[in-house]
Amino acid sequence: MKSLKKDYARLKDLLMRAYHEKGKSEVDELWQMRVMSHIRSLGPITSRKRYFMLFEQSVWRLAPVTCLLILVLAALLITLDFIPDYEMVKLLIDDPVEFTFVQLFGL
Amino acid sequence: MNDPESVNNSLSKPSDAEIVRRVIEGDINAFESLLVRYKGHVLEVVKRHVPYNEVEETAHDVFVRAYLSLPTFEKRSSFKQWLSTIAVRACHDFWRKRYRSREVPMSSLAEEHQEWLEKVVSNRSGQSFDDRNSQKKARELLDWALDRLSPGDRMVLELVYLEGLSGREAADLLGWSVANVKVRSLRARRKLRDLLA
Repeated sequence: MKSLKKDYARLKDLLMRAYHEKGKSEVDELWQMRVMSHIRSLGPITSRKRYFMLFEQSVWRLAPVTCLLILVLAALLITLDFIPDYEMVKLLIDDPVEFTFVQLFGL
Repeated sequence: MNDPESVNNSLSKPSDAEIVRRVIEGDINAFESLLVRYKGHVLEVVKRHVPYNEVEETAHDVFVRAYLSLPTFEKRSSFKQWLSTIAVRACHDFWRKRYRSREVPMSSLAEEHQEWLEKVVSNRSGQSFDDRNSQKKARELLDWALDRLSPGDRMVLELVYLEGLSGREAADLLGWSVANVKVRSLRARRKLRDLLA
């Protein structure tokens, strides 16, 4: 067991050194020009873009919760056997006056 | 007493927040100051995570993303730290794209690497790591093993296991929960051990 631990420790040390031994990365001025050229082509970050980005951020954050909510509601509707048309027809047959109020005023 | 030169320097050199403000107000060219200031740092971060021939393009992508996300830069953290999170996430996205397009080769570990690994781990080789050939083999072995991990596990392994960041630091860089990072870290280490066993 001890020798196995030692082997793993030696292996980890080896891999860490290999990871950190990666050579230097440098870029030339052309690269810098290309990046700035790309950024200039995007244009200024206007207020509209800014608000759109902030809006987009919150939309994506809420997306998983929304999807979950939709799934839960769908499951509930299926299990509760809720069929709106059927309920409306039943209401019409049982009580036409109430049905009319529901239609007109959403009561 | 303050050195006049350093006082002058601090006066003439605008802060990151100041440059960000100017860029958001429409002065696109001001962004070049940030690019020059931090290109070295971004390259350092990116080169650790992506192949050598992809470093320039990924670093390019990092700065474009940073430019587009400037309105969301909150001054709670430093600009350098904020840029680091963009760089790490860009690297993660790079591997996700590669993984999806199945560009990662699935060959098994070459026999010469297996033999070398056995010798080095048991310290029978007598070779020091400083030997160029050893370095090359170690790097190839590491790349082979990392290619077999999912992009998420790969990033966590690199940040936590190889760079020595804490779970919290890695989670902040990746934008994940600490729990997620810890679970992935454990899983990735086990996979790495199984691959190299």
